[in-house]
Amino acid sequence: MDKENFIDTNVIVHYANYQENKSIDILNKCYSYLVNKRGKFIVCYMVIKELYTVMSQLSIIHKEVLMKVKDNNHSMKDNKNLSEKDLAFAEKIYSTYKQTEVKKLNEILYSEREIFEISIERFLKTHVDEKVIPIEQIQTDLVNKLHDIISNHADCKILASALQLQKIREPFLFVTADGKDLAPNHYDFLKDHFKINYPKEGYLFPELLNLMFTK
Amino acid sequence: MVIRKTAEQIKDEILASLKEEPLSIEQLRKKVESNWSTTNNYLEELKKEGKVKEIISADKAKIYQRIFGDTYFDIPITDLERKKFRTLFSMVIKRYKESNQIPNKTQLAKAAVRVINSSESGLSELPTAWYLYGMIPLMIVDPSQDYQEEIILEHKQKINNIIEIFIKSNCDKKTKQIQKEQHIEYDDKLYQLADNFLELTEDNSWNRDRIFEVLNEFFIVCPINWEFKEVFNLTERFISTVRKLSYFDKLENHRTKILLTFDALWKFIATCKFYETISLKRRFSNKSVLDLYLGGAISFRKVCAEESLSDLYSIYLSKLDNRKLDLSSDAAKVKEIMQGWTGED
Repeated sequence: MDKENFIDTNVIVHYANYQENKSIDILNKCYSYLVNKRGKFIVCYMVIKELYTVMSQLSIIHKEVLMKVKDNNHSMKDNKNLSEKDLAFAEKIYSTYKQTEVKKLNEILYSEREIFEISIERFLKTHVDEKVIPIEQIQTDLVNKLHDIISNHADCKILASALQLQKIREPFLFVTADGKDLAPNHYDFLKDHFKINYPKEGYLFPELLNLMFTK
Repeated sequence: MVIRKTAEQIKDEILASLKEEPLSIEQLRKKVESNWSTTNNYLEELKKEGKVKEIISADKAKIYQRIFGDTYFDIPITDLERKKFRTLFSMVIKRYKESNQIPNKTQLAKAAVRVINSSESGLSELPTAWYLYGMIPLMIVDPSQDYQEEIILEHKQKINNIIEIFIKSNCDKKTKQIQKEQHIEYDDKLYQLADNFLELTEDNSWNRDRIFEVLNEFFIVCPINWEFKEVFNLTERFISTVRKLSYFDKLENHRTKILLTFDALWKFIATCKFYETISLKRRFSNKSVLDLYLGGAISFRKVCAEESLSDLYSIYLSKLDNRKLDLSSDAAKVKEIMQGWTGED
């Protein structure tokens, strides 16, 4: 029987950004993995929260681009809500559309954003079989332990949710597309770190399926 | 010989101390030179009399605010400002009566604002603020009150002229029209767009494209760098939910819910705007005092907006199905640019 899949935020975001014959490799992989479903799809509430944060973040990127197109002197860098990565994407959109009328560009960006959001919301509504670990049930001490190795707080909460679930479930796959903190060698390091430092707690790690590193 | 203060004297002192800003029992105790328990007892009495209210209550760390009842959110104004406001309101009502009219609340408020903001009136120091329906005097107007000219205003004649011009130019206009014109006069785009949205949704059949045009502009104009980040977040959520809902159902089918949600959102936005305008006037030594007056109202309105949005979102989710949605070539190009973006740092 196919293993259950605990899906990470980035896989769903890549899936929602997929376009036939136009997408880069990782988007193709994530799309294909979620469309050719094998085994149950599980999503934790922290991933759902993160997805809404991603949607909101995209609207901030778009708003900044619009403000820059409207007024060339507007500095997108001044918006503390944009990370360096966000800024890079905002600048790409800006340089492509800087000659476009603000009203028209706003409609283009809205239309792109709402299709992106609808894809995510549809996935959550129709593809996800189970939603697990309410945010208030995420164990703070486990999050803190993960934080020693993984810097992103939201990622720690998602992984903590997966570890909590793995304690009471048959082995499942943790499906991600994170090329940094959850790269296979980092994940192995994390498992060893937990084995050495917290042997009594008996934490069980789900099997990693990192689509960044699959063929 | 020690002269003991009477209960009334202590209560008057408490009220006088609360005239400028909310205070804790400990602060009040020191001001009225009494002990904690006595001060607490008198505050309880004043509370029952409706003269003060507890705004923060955590065991012994209670903070009290004076209830004036005549200013928005009970924000304090000086006695002189109060007299000037009453005098101005009295003059407006008198002019209206002279032209055989009785002003309604909007007419009185907007005429007063026009006078205050006129450089000739000499009243520019009187506080005004942006709130639900535009710019208003900080002192609540009540056309049924028998205001008197309590002081002689220096530029009385000029003020009367301004009022007369206002009455003449607004006598045939409905309340909404007067409000709308004020939003245009002060060039506040957000208020103008809110007016446009409400006007468009009055029609039986909604012009979807026109409504989206207004909402799209609302998105651009909505401030993102206010200290209230939620204003942008909730506004964006409202607009995107309405737009997405339109893919799956006629918006008119959800008219009531959409309008109720917009109303809750607008109340939140306008309360934040009120906070912002009062804060710019620097009436308080620090913002934490203003937080005491408005913090509760802002939180409450935010929760109401969130709840209403959540209901609207549930409607959208219930309508969401698997029909194919087409992406324009331009939108597809943006999607291509965004490849690899996950929203993570």
